[in-house]
Amino acid sequence: MRLYYEIARRSFRRAAAYRSAYLFGLLTNAFFGALITYMWRALYASGGGVAGWTVEDAVSYAWTTQSLISIGGGWLGYEIMGTIKTGEVVTDLSRPWNFWGYWLSRTLGERLYNLLMRASLTYVVGMVLFGARIPTPGDALAFLVAMTLAAVVSFGFSFIVNLTSFWLVDASGIMGFANILMMFFSGFLLPLAFFPPALQAVASVLPFQAITSIPAQVWLGKVEGDALVRALALQVFWVVTLAAVGLVVLRQAMRKVVIQGG
Amino acid sequence: MLRLYFRLIGARIRGQMQYKVSFFTELVVHMLWTGIEFATVAILFTRFPSLLGWTIAEVALLYGMTSVAFSIVEMVGRGFDAPFETMMAQGAFDGVLSRPLPSFFQILASEFQLRRLGRTAQGIAVLGYAFSRLSIDWSLAKVAVLVLALGSGMVIYLGLFVIGATICFWTIKTPEVINAFTFGGNQLVSYPLGIYNRALRTVFLWIVPVAFVNYPAALVVLERTDPYGLPPAVAWAAPLVAAVFFGVALRVWHFGTTKYQSTGS
Repeated sequence: MRLYYEIARRSFRRAAAYRSAYLFGLLTNAFFGALITYMWRALYASGGGVAGWTVEDAVSYAWTTQSLISIGGGWLGYEIMGTIKTGEVVTDLSRPWNFWGYWLSRTLGERLYNLLMRASLTYVVGMVLFGARIPTPGDALAFLVAMTLAAVVSFGFSFIVNLTSFWLVDASGIMGFANILMMFFSGFLLPLAFFPPALQAVASVLPFQAITSIPAQVWLGKVEGDALVRALALQVFWVVTLAAVGLVVLRQAMRKVVIQGG
Repeated sequence: MLRLYFRLIGARIRGQMQYKVSFFTELVVHMLWTGIEFATVAILFTRFPSLLGWTIAEVALLYGMTSVAFSIVEMVGRGFDAPFETMMAQGAFDGVLSRPLPSFFQILASEFQLRRLGRTAQGIAVLGYAFSRLSIDWSLAKVAVLVLALGSGMVIYLGLFVIGATICFWTIKTPEVINAFTFGGNQLVSYPLGIYNRALRTVFLWIVPVAFVNYPAALVVLERTDPYGLPPAVAWAAPLVAAVFFGVALRVWHFGTTKYQSTGS
């Protein structure tokens, strides 16, 4: 356990080394947050909407998703694929650790930094300038649990997709498809409540809502009591399922690993 | 020089075509990326009647215009993006400076991403939808103003890529913030400019004039008025605005090349 803690700690410190990159990244997230805010305000100004969602809800949701980008809500990581392409992966595989656990620790370390520095500040911009909601302490606490589970689900999915590059020389197409699915069905672009019923049904059986929709709704206080327990249980289900699939895929990959490069 | 450009680009395209499966997958991926973007807009319009008085077909016109212009520039001008960053990090720009051709030309000819056509195709499809749903009283002037806006928009987007690359001369890496102007600008002008506050409007009309790719021209074509009182006739100034912006971008580029300090070993 100590080993994985050290890996995460180093990853955290590595992330902390690029301060100006984080500042610029934050500005970019805040810029997109502002754009989406204006879009919601204009839409609500002409009437319409969805039951249970005020303009304030929609705006707060947008700032939450923009904040969650840097902790794995928007884009899949390409690092594992990169090491498979260069052949570097063979070193990581031969070390005395679990390969899945190694990448999980690395990812969580970096994301913790992103949460503390980038996500929180992005949301503060939304609160101060655009009236994004301040959650109750209870919701905030529940959010921390939901967000941690979301980070592991997002990693679990990313790991499986990255591992396809053991079989395909160029997995960037698959990664692209996977990322599109994730972005759409996680509720990153739009709260799932706004989807037509058929698409909502599709989203409800996919793992992606556990990545963005659930933590964001917990933060907004839309999931409390029994519903909260069910939402967290669903996240745990996807954590376990994706981890299991990831480990099986890893074992299959080990059987036929072909290292490129020399 | 034009012939040389086509020869270099031809070689790039032939190279990309060697990996046919990869090429077509990426083409489709790019089409889907922007496909979900517009799907999002379409879903929103099932829940809301209008965007400050603009219908979905009118928003589709804005979206389609910027999408087509932006995707073509991504195809042509990506040499100023990630490949240039790699070039800077490796100190490979030294080689560019030693060749007897303008550095701007060499970087432009260094990359051509045909797969971006997936996005162009999606933009054209959305434009087709817009034109089929809108009852526009077409005139020669309206066609002209649309074409001018598209052309000018491409020049402005290319200028932005060039400025982004120029920052590399000082920082080696293109800061992510340029994305706010390229991708962000593209997204901002996908919606009518009337929904934003004065500061954002001013920046995207008169400083980084991305909005000229569609908004003034759309006002003319749709015979709409701007809530802030922007006269639609400014649409005719698009080529001038684009020329000034691109001129500035080129000057910045040349200034950057004189400040270039090599990296690498």
